Amino acid sequence: MRALVIAFREVRTYLQDTADLAFSLLLPIAIFTLMYAAFGGQLLFQGTAHVVNEDPEGIYSTLFLERLRGIENLEVKLLSSKEAEERLDRSDLLLVLRVPKGFSNRLASGDPAELILSQRGDAGQEGQIVVSLVRAVAEEMGEEFKVREQVARALAGRNISQERTETVLQKFMDRERANPILGVQEELVGTRPDPVNMFLPGIITMFVLFAITLNARTLLEERREGTLERLLTTQLTVGELFTGKFLAGLARGFLQTLILLSLSQVAFHLFTPLTFAEILIVALIFAAAVSALGLVIASVARTEDGAIWIAVFFTMVMVMLGGTFFSISQGSPLYPLSRISINTYANDAFKAIIAGEGSLTHLRRELGIMAGIIIGGLGVGRVFFRIMPGGR
Amino acid sequence: MPEEFLVAQDLHKSFSADKAVDGVSFTIHTGEIFGLLGPNGAGKTTTIRMLSTVLEPDRGDATIGGHSIRRDADAARKLIGVCPQELALYQDLSALANMIFFGRMVGLTGKEVRVQAMAHLELVGLTEKAKSKVGKFSGGMKRRINLAIALMGHPELLFLDEPTVGIDPQSRNNIYQTIEDLRDKGITILYTTHYMEEADRLCDRVAIMDGGKIIAMDTPHQLRSRIGSPETVTLEDVFLKLTGRNLRD
Ligand SMILES: Nc1ncnc2c1ncn2[C@@H]1O[C@H](COP(=O)(O)OP(=O)(O)OP(=O)(O)O)[C@@H](O)[C@H]1O
Ligand SMILES: [Mg+2]
Repeated sequence: MRALVIAFREVRTYLQDTADLAFSLLLPIAIFTLMYAAFGGQLLFQGTAHVVNEDPEGIYSTLFLERLRGIENLEVKLLSSKEAEERLDRSDLLLVLRVPKGFSNRLASGDPAELILSQRGDAGQEGQIVVSLVRAVAEEMGEEFKVREQVARALAGRNISQERTETVLQKFMDRERANPILGVQEELVGTRPDPVNMFLPGIITMFVLFAITLNARTLLEERREGTLERLLTTQLTVGELFTGKFLAGLARGFLQTLILLSLSQVAFHLFTPLTFAEILIVALIFAAAVSALGLVIASVARTEDGAIWIAVFFTMVMVMLGGTFFSISQGSPLYPLSRISINTYANDAFKAIIAGEGSLTHLRRELGIMAGIIIGGLGVGRVFFRIMPGGR
Repeated sequence: MPEEFLVAQDLHKSFSADKAVDGVSFTIHTGEIFGLLGPNGAGKTTTIRMLSTVLEPDRGDATIGGHSIRRDADAARKLIGVCPQELALYQDLSALANMIFFGRMVGLTGKEVRVQAMAHLELVGLTEKAKSKVGKFSGGMKRRINLAIALMGHPELLFLDEPTVGIDPQSRNNIYQTIEDLRDKGITILYTTHYMEEADRLCDRVAIMDGGKIIAMDTPHQLRSRIGSPETVTLEDVFLKLTGRNLRD
C-alpha cells in the first residue's frame, strides 16, 4: 500500500516533467523517423518506366500502359520522342520504351506488332527489372490475343455475334487475371527485412533502457533532498521503499513502451490484437528488468552524478551489444558478447513477435533471462542498500 | 516523578576519525520539552539521527517508550515524528500533497489523513497555501510545513532539529506558538537550537553539548544560577563560562 503511494507520486512527477517526457517519447520517435527515412526506401524495388507513346489514341497502346501502371512499385512516365533521345544521349536515362505509331491498328487487324526498348549499356539494374516487367505485360497481352484469335476461328460461321463473343471472352480473361491458375506468391524467409522490424524494437528498448538513469537518480535525489532520511523515520519499511521505486520504474518504462508501440501500430499495422497483447507482456517484463537494474545503480552510487555516469556507461554497452542498429548474427565474433546484453533478449523477443515468428511460449528463454535479471537486480540492490552508508 | 519516555545511554558515533558524538546519555520525561544546546558541529543532529533510527550508533543504545532503537526500531519509529534540520520536502508537490504523502507513510489511511493534514496546516498558519507548490514557498513557509509534516500521525515524541533556523520573526513566532500548543497537549519534545533565548523560553530542561559531549544538564534557571544571579545571567554566559568560548564564533 505504502509502496503504491511512493510509486504513484513518482509516476506523477514523471508525467509532469516535460523534459523527461520529451526525452523518453519524442526523441525515440525522431530517431526512428530518421532511420526509417535513411534506410526505408532501399529495401523494396521502386522503379520508373520511361515511355514514348507514339500511338496515343490507340486502344491497345492505352490498354498496355494501363496494365503497366497497374504493377506495384512501378511508375510510368511519358516523354516526348525528342526528350527521350536527348536524355538517352546524356546517359540521363538508360532505358526508354517506345510504343510505335500504328501499334493498335496492327494488333486490331491481326498483324504482329512490336514494342521497342532502347537501352544504353546494360540499362542498369533498374532498367533490367523494368525490361522484364514490360516483357511480362507484353507476353500476357500476346497470350490474350492468341486466345481471342483461336476462339474467333473456332466460332467462325456459327452465327454468333462478334460483340457477344468479345464480352464473354473479356469476362473470362478478367477473371483469369484476377485468379490465375498459376500464380506467384512472394514470401520472405527469416525476419522481415523491413526497416520497421530492423530498427523499431532496438530504438524502443534503447530508450526504455535510457530511462534507467531516471530510476537510478530518484533514490539519490531523495537522499540529497533529505526526503529519503525522512522516509526512513516513518513506518515505511525498506522493502516497501524498494517495491515502490521498482514499481515506479516499471510503470514509467511500460508506459513509454505502450505509447511508442501504439504509435507504431497506428503507423505500420504491425500487430493483431493477440500479438499486441503478447508484445505488451514482453514490454512489461523488460521494463521491470530495467527498473530493477536502475535500483542496483541507485543503491551502489553515492551521488547523482555517479549514478548518471554508471547508468550512461551501462546503457552504452548494452545498446551496442544489443544489436540495436545492426543485427549480430550467430557466426559473428560479437555474438557471445551480445549474449550479456539485456537488450539482445528484449530485441529478439520484440522482433520475433513483430515478424509473427514466435508466441510467448517460443520466447521462454528470453523471458526467463529477463525474469532472472529482475529477481537478481532486486536482490543485489537490496544488499547494496543495506551495506552502503546511510542505508538500512 | 513523571515517566521516562526517552532514555539515551552512552551513545557514540564517529565519521572516519571524527568523533561526532562521544558518550552521550540523558533522559527525557513524558510531556517535557528537552533542549539540546550547542555550537555548530557539537553533535546535536547526529544524536537526533541516531535516536530517530536513521543512523546506527557505534556504541550505546536508547529506548523510546521502552523500545530499543537497536533491537526494536520498528516499534520505536511508531512513536516518533521528526522535523529535520535540513528541509525534507517534495518541492514539486503542494503543501497538502506533502502532508498527505507523509501521513500515509506513518500509517494514516482514508479520511483521517486529510483531516489531520488540514488541521496541522492550520496549526502552522498555512491553510491558504494548502494547494500551492512547496517549491514556490518562502524559506519561513518551508520551515513551517517541514514542522507540520512531523506532526502527522500525532507522534508521542517529536524531534525538532533547529526548526527556526534562518527564518523571519513572523514564522519564528508561529513556530514558538505551535510548540507551546503541542506542549499543552502533553507531547514530549527533543528540541535542538543554538539560540539560547529560544531554549530559555521553551525548554523545561536543557543539555549543553560541545565536541560530542554533554557538558552541563539542568533547568535553564538552575544553569543560570550556577554562575550568578539567574535574572541577569544568560545561557550564553553559561556556555562561555563552561568552555571559555562564545557559543557562536
Ligand atoms: N554524514 C557525516 N559524514 C561525516 N561527518 C559528519 C556527518 N554528519 C556529521 N558529521 C560531523 O560530525 C560532527 C557533528 O555534526 P552534527 O551535524 O551532529 O552537529 P550539530 O551539532 O548538529 O551542528 P549544527 O548546529 O551545525 O547543525 C561535525 O564535525 C560534522 O562535521
Ligand atoms: Mg545540526
